[in-house]
Amino acid sequence: MTSLIGFSALSLSALLSFVILIPNSILKIKVKYFLIICRCSTLLVCASFISLIYAYITSDFSNYNVFQNSHSDKPLIYKITGAWGNHEGSILLWICMISIYGFFYSFLSKALENFKRTVLKIQSGIFIIFALFVIFTSNPFLVNSVYVEEGLGLNPILQDPSLAIHPPMLYLGYVGFSLVFSLAIASLLKDNFDQAWILETRKWSIISWGFLTAGIALGSYWAYYELGWGGWWFWDPVENISLMPWIAGLALVHSLLLVRGEQVIEKWIVFLAILCFSLSILGTFLVRSGILTSVHSFAADASRGLFILLIFFITTGFGFLVFLIKSPTKKNDLQLLLINKTSALIINNILMMIAVLTILLGTIYPIIIEVLTNTRISVGGPYFNSTVLPILLPGFLLMSIAPILSWQTNRIRKFRIYVIFFLILSLLISLQSYLTSFNTWGFIGLLLGTWIILGSLISIILRFKFSPSLNYIKTINSFVAHIGVGIMIIGITYSSIFQKEYIYNMKIGEEVNFENQKLKFNDIKIFEEKNFQSLKAVFSLEKKGRFINYIEPGKNYYPVSKMITTEAGIHHDWLRDIYIVLGSENNNLWFIKVYINPLVSFIWVGVLIMIFSTIIAVLKK
Amino acid sequence: MKKITLLAPLLILTIICLFFLFFILFNKNPNDPPSALLNKDLPKFLSANLYDDSETLAPEDLKGKYTLINFFASWCTPCRAEHHLFFKISEKFPELFILGFSHKDNLNDSKKYLEEEGNPYSFVGIDKDGKIAFEFGVFGLPETFIINNKGKIIFKHTGPLTKKVIDNDITNLF
Amino acid sequence: MILQICFKIFLIIFLSSSINANESIDNKVKNLTLELRCMTCQNQSVHDSDSDYSRDIKILVKKKFEEGLNEKQIKIFLTERYGEYILFKPYFNSKNLFLWLFPFVLMIISVMVLLKSSKKTKTK
Repeated sequence: MTSLIGFSALSLSALLSFVILIPNSILKIKVKYFLIICRCSTLLVCASFISLIYAYITSDFSNYNVFQNSHSDKPLIYKITGAWGNHEGSILLWICMISIYGFFYSFLSKALENFKRTVLKIQSGIFIIFALFVIFTSNPFLVNSVYVEEGLGLNPILQDPSLAIHPPMLYLGYVGFSLVFSLAIASLLKDNFDQAWILETRKWSIISWGFLTAGIALGSYWAYYELGWGGWWFWDPVENISLMPWIAGLALVHSLLLVRGEQVIEKWIVFLAILCFSLSILGTFLVRSGILTSVHSFAADASRGLFILLIFFITTGFGFLVFLIKSPTKKNDLQLLLINKTSALIINNILMMIAVLTILLGTIYPIIIEVLTNTRISVGGPYFNSTVLPILLPGFLLMSIAPILSWQTNRIRKFRIYVIFFLILSLLISLQSYLTSFNTWGFIGLLLGTWIILGSLISIILRFKFSPSLNYIKTINSFVAHIGVGIMIIGITYSSIFQKEYIYNMKIGEEVNFENQKLKFNDIKIFEEKNFQSLKAVFSLEKKGRFINYIEPGKNYYPVSKMITTEAGIHHDWLRDIYIVLGSENNNLWFIKVYINPLVSFIWVGVLIMIFSTIIAVLKK
Repeated sequence: MKKITLLAPLLILTIICLFFLFFILFNKNPNDPPSALLNKDLPKFLSANLYDDSETLAPEDLKGKYTLINFFASWCTPCRAEHHLFFKISEKFPELFILGFSHKDNLNDSKKYLEEEGNPYSFVGIDKDGKIAFEFGVFGLPETFIINNKGKIIFKHTGPLTKKVIDNDITNLF
Repeated sequence: MILQICFKIFLIIFLSSSINANESIDNKVKNLTLELRCMTCQNQSVHDSDSDYSRDIKILVKKKFEEGLNEKQIKIFLTERYGEYILFKPYFNSKNLFLWLFPFVLMIISVMVLLKSSKKTKTK
């Protein structure tokens, strides 16, 4: 019954969206009704998704999707999140969001009615394409042909809080760019690039980018504590896929800021807007078609792959075609000096584009080679580290001096103060690196990170008078965001380069010492949880005789799916994470891997600052 | 000049999509990488017969025949799933020499497995330490190779064989 | 003057970092296996993975290092059997030329374009 309601709501929603698309020349709809139909379509698709969730909550196994992916023993919260933990449910969520973004745009936008219509038409067009994909190839409302007592889906890896919220966050980011895409296409079709459009596009770009940042961070964080390898970024194809629209989105947000200096590169902004959403769809395609090997596993299907490929080709092709035909022709008078803010922004845009293209090439190169030569190669972490990082380095360098630069001239106010502070900082860092274990990349990363923080900090102090008001926070917002980036860079540098790994074989009662800390292997405990058995090794961490914390790495055994997962035991500290992985046992000796990850907290703190600044950026003065 | 730069994204898009299209149409499987040994000579090995210590087999013995080599083990579940297909293959291609290797398996367990499931192999070799499989680039069971009568590897399949693979890929080789 | 001092400091630091201590075999194994794909895992390196396959490869790599082979020879040995697929860092050969040169070429082109357009602005 729920399946029927869900499917009908979905189909009706698609039908209404189709009505929206009918051109004015054939059927004239008044704006009032136009908006009502749009919004009804959204409400219907949301109802459809809610009915899917309802089916999960009630463990309605007559629904094939629920049967495949759920189980009555699942805790309630994971029953709900299981609704989007599979291909069909997640695509339904995806189209819900496409519609919801249109919904909010219809209320919040102050654009002229004609323009609004165009944007919503394009948004509806996108919605329909994906909705057709759901209805014809990925229907979550298929009904089981036989009666079943119990479901199949009890994959333990999916029963995790950050993994549950990671897809919705990520989709809010990807799908947000669909609205930015629609805004861009509408601006091309209506030849409208006024200030209002810039501000509106900027707002939605920042929102999308913010969600995407949160989604990627959650995925990274999950990989860090769940996958048990002490790392949080592997240049896995799926991670690269999310990184590309992230970088492109960053370039877009920065380019939209050029308006502050009264200089706009319309063509470039529109191009980036189309690119961001194209990369989002490309990402969806690459993951769900199953043509890439990665840590992410979605059940792959050739027909689905072909359909999404078609969607990708049509949507992206349409975008770039409109771009080709109706490209804005205004000649831009850019003040490009060496070096002012405008040129720094342009250089950074170029660097980000090169980074995106390199990541794209690296990710799809194996596919190209296999089609051409029938041999398979891998393009993994080492390639991206050797290419993307050096590309981004000058970008980070520019970021450190960018807040100091001015828009119009290439003179820097209070130049001497900056130079003095930068020099002192560089000397301190050089000294520190020299006295401790030196590493070229570590040194560079630390230097750049601190320079970025210093540049922004000095700018805030020198240029803006402090006042405890939202206005002040909004003014210093971009500087704060950059400080967040600087902190994150320091965290990334330290946790990857100065990570230490210790391997022990211990029996219960033994203790080991490292870096003036003592780790004592206390006990092995076995628990029976609701749908799994858990084996935990209890370690106590002591420093100079004082007890700090228990660390409990373990393994969980899930009897229904017969899977064993390794749970890392982590002790979080501002300065380092102590990360323990439990291996196998041999003659009462347990294999233990201890990772010391310095400054991991800086990564999460930096990201949080960035997300916080996107929120501030969107708030009204 | 300007029009070309505007046309570039569309061109790149089309090229990329074509590659994806061909990849999907060629039925490429991410879990079954093409073998590094394709069109190369059969690697050297010397294997004793599972049932008779004194009898051995080496590549020279396979000269002039088409051979199918299958790596299996009693503990490998997908191997059991594909096992019956080898009988069908030997019926369909009576000239084909079907060589099985008991890979990293207790010899008695292998013998018992073949007793239970039947023995479709013309010869069952022993690869207890996995060295022979390593030379073939095997990384997971089951894996199946086909060697032509000139001693070159012309086909590899990782994972259990299916009727579809046999009909579509293997039949065309002879 | 300041620039000279900075440059000299930089030079000292860079030179001191290039002293290559005699790496232990375990370290060599770690560095190589970080670049090898675990063929039975979903995109993990041999070093990070716990699987049987990875354990075998780690033992094999260690043996080869002890026999005196260097990293390049071991990579060749492995790719003869598993293909280039096992290497996370693709070879720099004719097939992968485009892959490796692409970012580099893009950078050069953009630098040239930027210099050209800044010259144009100067002459305006």
